[in-house]
Amino acid sequence: MKKTIQIPLGSQHISLLEPIRFKFECENEKIIGVDADVGFVHRGVELACTRSFEFKQVGYVVARVCGLCAITHSLSYTLAAEKLLGYEANDRIKYLRMLMVELDRIHSHMLCLAHTAENAGFEALFMQIMADRELVMDLQEAISGNRVQFDFIAIGGVNRDLTPELTALIHKNLTLLSEKIDALIGLFNNNWSLSLKYKGVGVLRLEDAYTYNALGPLARAAGLATDVRVETSDFPYEDIGYTMILESTGDIHARNFVRLREIVNSIAMCRNIADNLPAGEILEKTKGKPKGEAVVRVEAPRGELFYLVRGNGGNMLERVRIKTPTFSGIPAMMEVFKSSEYADAPAILASFDPCMSCTAK
Amino acid sequence: MKFFTSFRKKSPWILHYNAGSCNGCDIEILAALGPKFDLERFGVINTGNPKQSDIFLVTGPVTYRSRERLVELYSQIPEPKVVIAVGSCTTTGGVFRGMYNVEDGIDQYIPVDVYVPGCASTPQLIIDAIVKALEILENKSKEIEKPFKLFGSVETIGNKLSRLNMAKRVKHD
Amino acid sequence: MTKLETTLATLLADIGTFYEPKKWHFLTVNGIDLGEGKIELQWIFSKYGVKDEIVIYYALSDYETPVPSLVSLIPSAFMGEREIVDMFGLKVDGAERGLYLDEDSLQHPLRSES
Repeated sequence: MKKTIQIPLGSQHISLLEPIRFKFECENEKIIGVDADVGFVHRGVELACTRSFEFKQVGYVVARVCGLCAITHSLSYTLAAEKLLGYEANDRIKYLRMLMVELDRIHSHMLCLAHTAENAGFEALFMQIMADRELVMDLQEAISGNRVQFDFIAIGGVNRDLTPELTALIHKNLTLLSEKIDALIGLFNNNWSLSLKYKGVGVLRLEDAYTYNALGPLARAAGLATDVRVETSDFPYEDIGYTMILESTGDIHARNFVRLREIVNSIAMCRNIADNLPAGEILEKTKGKPKGEAVVRVEAPRGELFYLVRGNGGNMLERVRIKTPTFSGIPAMMEVFKSSEYADAPAILASFDPCMSCTAK
Repeated sequence: MKFFTSFRKKSPWILHYNAGSCNGCDIEILAALGPKFDLERFGVINTGNPKQSDIFLVTGPVTYRSRERLVELYSQIPEPKVVIAVGSCTTTGGVFRGMYNVEDGIDQYIPVDVYVPGCASTPQLIIDAIVKALEILENKSKEIEKPFKLFGSVETIGNKLSRLNMAKRVKHD
Repeated sequence: MTKLETTLATLLADIGTFYEPKKWHFLTVNGIDLGEGKIELQWIFSKYGVKDEIVIYYALSDYETPVPSLVSLIPSAFMGEREIVDMFGLKVDGAERGLYLDEDSLQHPLRSES
């Protein structure tokens, strides 16, 4: 008699925002094997970047790879293209770009926290976090003009400037938000029923994090000190008060906590940027066509985003390689599922913050 | 019977499927269901089960692998049903139009009742679309409940189905 | 960014001596079509905790030559290998088609002639 049963999850499921199909091999309640099909969202952006669009348009196309981290996609591409054009942005542009990336990180982390809470069965907590998240969404709409797909970054600068009214709004909303985040930190730390669902569930050990090349909050929750923000020199993150957040247990609780504390850190950074914005132009003219090869790494909310761009001096690029965070995170995720319970699978999945449209491009 | 139909209009459940979108519209649907925009005041609940749903919210320009699932989900939703295409790429293909793994919009595969523009569609637009869909859903329910003759001159089942757009219009290739 | 040349025959030995899991982060496998049936394969690594240190091993090859798999050294390499199998129609030991495209698909979208 067969000892194991196969249980599928997806491609359409109430706990999934995006189509992904898991096939869990279960022994009673325990998952002992897992197989994932991630190709449902494959559209072919990499090819279109080199065949259908000119290099000045590609920044807006790659933003449509993923709606949650659209700004990091367009930022990485723009940095790569600027390296090929031999252009370096001034400090004001750098600070404005960092501001939007950090705001995006706050809203993405809050969405992940909310989604994890919903999948673990805490509907009210989901609603509460979604309500608090609107403070950041309002800020993004006020600064860039759109709530999610803000085409804020262009080659040579940014498309909109920060006015004094916006600075005041940033301070007002972020002050409100930091109070709410403090309350959430207390809740996540002390609530007994949350701890039953989160503590000790879905553990990624440090050795596995090294072996499977985990990245982003997934790795930092396991104690692996990696963050592209300190491993690249494109942006002056040390100047605006960046600190690396590390946890050691590697379970859902630790991943939630890394996100919560990163939100606190990002709020502090956004405030510093709004207060100490250097003077300068926001959009400068660039000359020439991209020629050569450039690699760029940027810390997206889910981890390291990598772009390799190769141009031959023409209007069309030769190759745009997009390596997204979830793509590299999947081996580690599949490892975590093994030896956990099937009933916890949706919450564990949400706590990775997987982004399938990133993965499949 | 009238007792039950009066409740259907007030509580349409939605089924959400991502057919290859960038996530932007999906998180806006979540935001619309959240407390600030509060779509749930119309009695809307996000459900994962097609057999209990009335409104089908689709995002994304149907990728090659998701088209079978899309048609399958559509056919599992009981009549009357309303399909809403959320986002530019869902209605026309948008920025993904012409890419090799993309089918340029969901109306190539299933009939669409409400188109929502925007990249990404804002929650306000999604709420407008749902309100419009409620109207369409009510009309469709009324059409279905009209009496008809099985044989005879008034109207046959085939005519009725084609009038209601319920005959299989799904394209097979 | 350092670029080191290698060949498909010596790839496993080169990366075996170079790669240490606690020091290097394996990013991905990348392929670039150079036209006329030639393809450049890249294996990209970055160092933990050090600024701007990226090492790219690259090898020139064609569509037919089987590419050795790195899974024995780096267990997470299978995602990138399955991707180049799909996108370029290459042969990699142990990696099957079907990550993004269908298993029996005849497409290889990122080849320059397609």
